[in-house]
Amino acid sequence: MENGILKRIGFKVLLLAILLVGMNYIYQYFFFKADLTKYSDIAEQVNSLPQNVDIIYLGESSNVTYLEKDRDKRAISEFINEYLPDLDVVDITKPASHSGIYYAILNQIPAKNEAKTVIVTLNLRSFNAQWIYSDLETPLQRGLVLMRNNSPLVNRLMLSFKDYDIKSKQERERQFKGQWLADEFKVPFPFPHKNVKDWDYWQAMNPIKDSSGNIDQYQTIITTQFIKTYGFQIDTLNNPRIQDFDAIVALAKQRNWNLVFNLMGENTEKAERLVGEELVYFMRENRDLLVNYYGRKGVVVVDNLETVPDSLYVDKDFPTEHYAEKGRKDIAKNVANAIKND
Amino acid sequence: MLFNSFDFILFLPTVLILYFLTPHKFRWILLLAASYFFYMSWKVEYIFLILFSTLVDYFIALKMERINQKKKRLPWLLMSIATNLGLLFFFKYYSFATNNANGMFQSFGIDFNFPHLDFLLPVGISFYTFQTLSYSIDVYNGRQQAERHLGYFALYVSYFPQLVAGPIERFSQLTPQLKKKHTLEYDNVANGMRLILYGLFIKMVIADNIGTFVDQIYADPTIHSSLEILTGMFMYSFQIYSDFYGYSLVAIGAALIMGVRLMDNFKTPYLSINIAEFWQRWHISLSTWFRDYVYFPLGGNRVKWARWIFNIFVVFIVSGIWHGANWTFIIWGALYGIVYLIESILNKQLKLSNDIKPFSVRHILMAIKTFVLVTFIWVFFRSQSLDEALFIFENLGRNFDMESNNFIIPNTVWIFLSLFLLSDILLYNKRFDSWVGQKNGIIRWSIYSILIFAIIVFSGVENHPFIYFQF
Repeated sequence: MENGILKRIGFKVLLLAILLVGMNYIYQYFFFKADLTKYSDIAEQVNSLPQNVDIIYLGESSNVTYLEKDRDKRAISEFINEYLPDLDVVDITKPASHSGIYYAILNQIPAKNEAKTVIVTLNLRSFNAQWIYSDLETPLQRGLVLMRNNSPLVNRLMLSFKDYDIKSKQERERQFKGQWLADEFKVPFPFPHKNVKDWDYWQAMNPIKDSSGNIDQYQTIITTQFIKTYGFQIDTLNNPRIQDFDAIVALAKQRNWNLVFNLMGENTEKAERLVGEELVYFMRENRDLLVNYYGRKGVVVVDNLETVPDSLYVDKDFPTEHYAEKGRKDIAKNVANAIKND
Repeated sequence: MLFNSFDFILFLPTVLILYFLTPHKFRWILLLAASYFFYMSWKVEYIFLILFSTLVDYFIALKMERINQKKKRLPWLLMSIATNLGLLFFFKYYSFATNNANGMFQSFGIDFNFPHLDFLLPVGISFYTFQTLSYSIDVYNGRQQAERHLGYFALYVSYFPQLVAGPIERFSQLTPQLKKKHTLEYDNVANGMRLILYGLFIKMVIADNIGTFVDQIYADPTIHSSLEILTGMFMYSFQIYSDFYGYSLVAIGAALIMGVRLMDNFKTPYLSINIAEFWQRWHISLSTWFRDYVYFPLGGNRVKWARWIFNIFVVFIVSGIWHGANWTFIIWGALYGIVYLIESILNKQLKLSNDIKPFSVRHILMAIKTFVLVTFIWVFFRSQSLDEALFIFENLGRNFDMESNNFIIPNTVWIFLSLFLLSDILLYNKRFDSWVGQKNGIIRWSIYSILIFAIIVFSGVENHPFIYFQF
């Protein structure tokens, strides 16, 4: 009895499998391209990458954000190309990207591509739990599903069944706040705060006052944002960004790429003015760790941490790596010089 | 683990294969383990709530059964109710109650605040709480014998297909089926798969695609014209229906493959001629729960007129509160109460018959009237606050500009929505599995192919969790 049923079910499963193969062809020829445009602009960028390029620049919003009054609104990657006129630089820019996304992009670059150098944006903030567990991660991960190494229909099935990291905003907030609590500071000087949450709370309870002694809410909020953004110490064993950058290093070796990490400028000047030298200590300590760690792995790390002065930051209300024209040019010049000298 | 997730695609077949491979006497262990695993995939710790609720009701029921006098059983029933509703109150209503209380203290100048507690609402708590409550009440009333097998009782509370969003099953309906030895039956597998397929289609292709546009409207109604807001309101009616109906069908289908028949939760509710019929066709397992455990004990309609009005309001307002800790749900429930009463009185006064030929002009007109009413009432359900709901209505009459503000619904969405509407008409008083099962092989497989292709290729890609999971 059950054998008969199993045969009937087996026949239907076979029929379904044949249908799915047919559907895969229909999807591939009529719908896949439109889906890539709609759901995976990264894949589109990778697909449109010229084969005979010299340098690929991977960046996030820092590459393309400019100040409205900039005379020259070109991206950092374009300035690099200006400083290296004999080489052809092409960028792949995806706002809010990080090493995990860069790795997925690099993994998709066809083997026949002639690029010799890959410049990857190394953003200090992206190592912070707040960015690691950011709700921007959901759309980023969604954008990668159609790029997986499966047949197009299987990838679309995975996209439809939400086979990507889909935690709610509330869950993500819990994650990074939990991480903030768990990451206790280890510094070689007396420091009253156990972790960043503690530090942030203290700052909120001791607001900044203006010259007449009134609480300056605006400055206090910016100050707490700086604390929350830079008050962390990178743990090379457990930070997922390190694991992804390590994977990029391994991939670059395999593909014979010269790898350059562009450690972006952060507003240390403002951090020192608002919070004090303790916060700058954290920023410099993380910078030193990354420069040494990846330097030892043979990566050229361009240290731009303190390249851009406060006046050249586009966003005044919160910490970002968005620079005015001169800032972008200075960063680009340092990267170009590092490539020339390599 | 959502039904429309890749995890569930792997989980369900694994459980089903193991289920039919496992000897009958051990199946409850497999299903219980699978159900707890399913529940823990949301948050591991919350399994303790189910365990606690299960143990309390299991022992209270045994205790009640040993007491002959109903009056003496009452304290035990109250203990069960207090435990279940206490948990529900703590997790679901604490913030709402204390925020309102704190606001009141503040307005009276009292310097006291209940502390703010921040925790995630345990998924499905309202559903399994009501399920266990019905068991305790039935045992108290002598309508149900207490279950002696703790394993089967635990499985009744946590059976995974209907654990997180129903249908809310009665012990007398579900447990005998869980205990019965089921063999692999082709019809059950075929019908179960049909329901799962159709359920996923209406959730993933209809609800999730529509949800994106509804979200746009509710995010900022000020930038949309009246027509767009109205479209958004009607779209929400279809979103919540296809979302919850889709979920219920997957639940019913998954259980059916195992030979377990769960109750139907929806019967083409938007073809109802009035609100009374709507509630006989919408979320049937909840409305019958309220009928049996709230409305009838209050006296139902066999009471004086004023008391009957009171009973109706109690049922609808409690139903509103059940849905969520927000004034919007209370208003939503109360509005149903008002419309229900108005319609009932009008029917009585005008001596209107409810016996209408399906799809006659009168049926169509009355169904449209009911649908429009329900759509306007849904605004309170969808809004995060009363202000937001009123804001939607305010903006509805503000901008009659026909220009679009990037609110363009793709043709594919309209096509699938039309198909869904058509299928609802075709399925009037029928179920998809039996309807499609009667078609010949070519038509049947053509329908399957369209549904499968649509699920894979046209599903919404943004994450819209099942709306009823929040309850």
